[in-house]
Amino acid sequence: MTRRLLPWAGLGLVVVVTLAAVLWPDGGRSDSARAHALAEELRCPECQGLSVADSSEPTSRAMRADIRDRIEAGQSDAEIRQAMVDRFGESILLRPEGGGLGLVVWGLPVAALALGGGGLVLALRRWRREPRLRATEADEKLVDQTRS
Amino acid sequence: MRRHPLRMVALGVGVAVAALAVVLALQVGDDQLQAQPRSELLGDDAPDFTVTTLAGEEVSLDSLAGQAVIVNFWNSWCIPCRQEEPALREFYERHRDEADFALVGIVRDDTERAARRAVDERGIEWPMGLDPGGRAALDFGTRGQPETYAITPDGLVAGTQYGPATVEDLETLLAAARGQR
Amino acid sequence: MRAALGVLALAVGTSAAVLGIATLGLGLRRRDERLLRNGRRYVFVVLAAAVLAAGAMEWALLSHDFSIEYVADNNARATPTLFTITGLWAALEGSILLWALVLGGYLAFMARRFRDRATDPLVAWATLTGLVVALFFFVLMLGPANPFKTIADVPSDGAGPNPLLQNHPLMAFHPPILYLGYVGFTVPFSFAVAALVTGRFGEGWLADTRRATLVAWGFLTAGILLGAWWSYEVLGWGGYWAWDPVENASLLPWLTGTAFIHSVIVQERRGMLRVWNLSLVIATFCLTILGTFLTRSGVVDSVHSFTQSAIGPMLLGFLGIVAAVGIGLIAWRGDRLRAPGRIDSPVSRESAFLANNLLFAALAFVVLLGTVYPLLAEALQDRRLSVGEPYFDRMTTPIGIGLLFLMAAAPALPWRATTGEVLRRRLLLAAWMGAAAMAISVLLGARELAQVLTFGLAAFALAGIARQFAVGARAHGAARVVRSNPRLYGGLVVHVGVVLVAVAIASSSSYSTKREVRLREGESATVRGYTVTYLDGDTDRSGQKTTVSARVRLERGGDDLGVYAPAISTFPNSTQGIGTPSVRTGLREDLYLTLVSSPNQRGRITLGVAVNPLVLWLWLGGAVMAIGTLIALSPSLRAPLWRRRTRTIRDVRRQSEEEKEPVPV
Repeated sequence: MTRRLLPWAGLGLVVVVTLAAVLWPDGGRSDSARAHALAEELRCPECQGLSVADSSEPTSRAMRADIRDRIEAGQSDAEIRQAMVDRFGESILLRPEGGGLGLVVWGLPVAALALGGGGLVLALRRWRREPRLRATEADEKLVDQTRS
Repeated sequence: MRRHPLRMVALGVGVAVAALAVVLALQVGDDQLQAQPRSELLGDDAPDFTVTTLAGEEVSLDSLAGQAVIVNFWNSWCIPCRQEEPALREFYERHRDEADFALVGIVRDDTERAARRAVDERGIEWPMGLDPGGRAALDFGTRGQPETYAITPDGLVAGTQYGPATVEDLETLLAAARGQR
Repeated sequence: MRAALGVLALAVGTSAAVLGIATLGLGLRRRDERLLRNGRRYVFVVLAAAVLAAGAMEWALLSHDFSIEYVADNNARATPTLFTITGLWAALEGSILLWALVLGGYLAFMARRFRDRATDPLVAWATLTGLVVALFFFVLMLGPANPFKTIADVPSDGAGPNPLLQNHPLMAFHPPILYLGYVGFTVPFSFAVAALVTGRFGEGWLADTRRATLVAWGFLTAGILLGAWWSYEVLGWGGYWAWDPVENASLLPWLTGTAFIHSVIVQERRGMLRVWNLSLVIATFCLTILGTFLTRSGVVDSVHSFTQSAIGPMLLGFLGIVAAVGIGLIAWRGDRLRAPGRIDSPVSRESAFLANNLLFAALAFVVLLGTVYPLLAEALQDRRLSVGEPYFDRMTTPIGIGLLFLMAAAPALPWRATTGEVLRRRLLLAAWMGAAAMAISVLLGARELAQVLTFGLAAFALAGIARQFAVGARAHGAARVVRSNPRLYGGLVVHVGVVLVAVAIASSSSYSTKREVRLREGESATVRGYTVTYLDGDTDRSGQKTTVSARVRLERGGDDLGVYAPAISTFPNSTQGIGTPSVRTGLREDLYLTLVSSPNQRGRITLGVAVNPLVLWLWLGGAVMAIGTLIALSPSLRAPLWRRRTRTIRDVRRQSEEEKEPVPV
């Protein structure tokens, strides 16, 4: 049994090591990475659905500069987001907030997936427990004949 | 037992679809594009801005303390801005000699040269501030131009107008800035 | 004259639809074969009426007949001929006309294909359902969405189409192809309703509509990818997908449609999932209507929402009726749909298909929820919210990776049950190649989890597909392998296309570089090894368009790559400039140039320079998917599985060789 599992185990090992190498924390994000990440979460107020990071509009430019200044001034991500919301309203955020109504948009898909997956597992279990049709000796003989 | 699960699921799906339809139907009535967005600043402290006018003066919120201030974001190429100019001109003529009044224009999304030329050609007489980097425009949360903001003598935002304003609109804004109804 | 002709055509179409429905309805009630045979003829009248109406509109557009409001709003004398023709679908009313035209075509195709079975109640009910849908669209056009509405004050010139719609010849293809996809799902939907009503929900209706479903799916895929291409090459914001509500609206039926294409295989083989399949196809059709509603009612802000009108409530009402009828029919017939089949093992192809459907359904749910959430928030709490890329990326990426895994592993899984030995033989090598690809990509510098997983699963999938082709070639001979089972191998080719698309998306979303440079004439800048030199600028005024372009020379490592000219165009009725990017498409990466601002008083331009890796593979992948769809549509050497009455020993032996496992007889 173990011999047969060996190549699979080896495969699993390689995958795990590779994933570990990818997920290994590499010393936090630089300021510019932080600025870019924040800019990607904010909507350009003058455009149709573009983020502040992607847009070349003057307001987006000013917002990017503002984000950089605030990061240098030591503000946290949450504070910077709040400053933008204070000026432009909630719709400036491209990522909906988590609490309250936000639970719907973040939690519902996960719940639906869990429900669906659970239902599938239950159905599978139910099917396995039901007895299969039993073949008679004559049936088995017929099958062997056909196969040969 | 076999009958019910499917009917329950169907009922559940039906309810969800109906709910979605209701939500969508509620939105159809509103004219989304026309709906005027409310400024987030209404009732809050006005942002502390500093601009240098075309004449070389420095104007900031502090320098205007004690006055009812109308801030108008403008530029030389936007068509509604042009439409608004006669109203602004009349409004300014009416109130320019009042001690507790100030009208400040701020250039938004334009070059200094084009702004200067337009101000000279079109006879814009109120102070027009330059906003390189768009910081003042950002601090006010502007999304375009023309946009007009009314600030009380204590520095609170009392009224906002998106899009071109008529003389009546400007008078309403001034009244709000002065605390009158 | 033209307007009158158009309205006449619409009236004829409406009456023909009503008469057809009445005739077929009566024929079905009385089981009168003559009525049924006559009833289907009305379909061709409906098609003729739609053709006539569209023809009248094109005539009006080409002759600049501004007495018709639609022409005055969407055409001008200076509009180039191509965009005059495409004006038919430039705005709301015209696109409803296009929908009716395509629907007429599909219904006529359906009527003709099943002409030998005209008296079969299944076919008759399907035709009747199709005619009801057609009736709705014709009534829409006679009512709030009248394309032939005339105006009293005829202007001397029209407003011209929206500038965004005049920018590129692709405007001629993207909407019609998309509609060929959307509308095509009416065919399987009609048959699904017919199956429910007649009680014949076996596999017959599936087999009858298999090709039509695949055609619709193929067109929808092409339409979506063309839209992405347009977004990238023409709109110029630098990306190909913005999770715009209207883009999402086109993705939703695609997701359920893809789930459907896979789960019908389970129904054909095992007779299972009948309720699910019926629900899926009804849902897909509903989503195409929802998509139209979202696009055309102006309910969500989008690049596509050009107009607002009373059409919204009517579309919503129709959607409600369809959904209610569909759910009602399934609830009514539901008990009889219980199939005898069952799944024997969690590691089997059936289980993989079930998981596939679960994930696609989850994806569709996420996209739908994200799109309507702002509406929900406004309705419930009067809050204005946005849902954008950060949400969609975060939610859809894990599901997408799960689907990629299934795509790689499932084709190798046997039906019913398997042993460890079979799994090892079929999957181990491919899985090792996947792991190797993951490791190599990490060694080459990849650090994002989603991207590394995508590369690994892509290699896994490709290796598996190669193995399948090899096994098939061994059994049938290399020349005839595809023809032996076009459905299987066509599907595998489509999967190859999906792999290319997945890898392209993974690469371009993580490893793109974007920079802005300010240059005077003659100045250069370097981005990621490419040197851009601003040569000179040019202003061109033609017709309504004023275009400012900047000629830029591109070099890399000393090689001259040519001169590119990004531009900004302005139109008189709009203050905003429309950017046109200039793209150097390469096998490994794209060099994407945009003119951010035209020369200022000092002659300086701001140039956007972006390096996007592997974007070409996105379009290549799409082409491969199209080829695979065509292969899957081609006739097979053998009859469909469930219809085969006798299987000879030779079939058994051949299949056994292909699958190298004991075949349950």
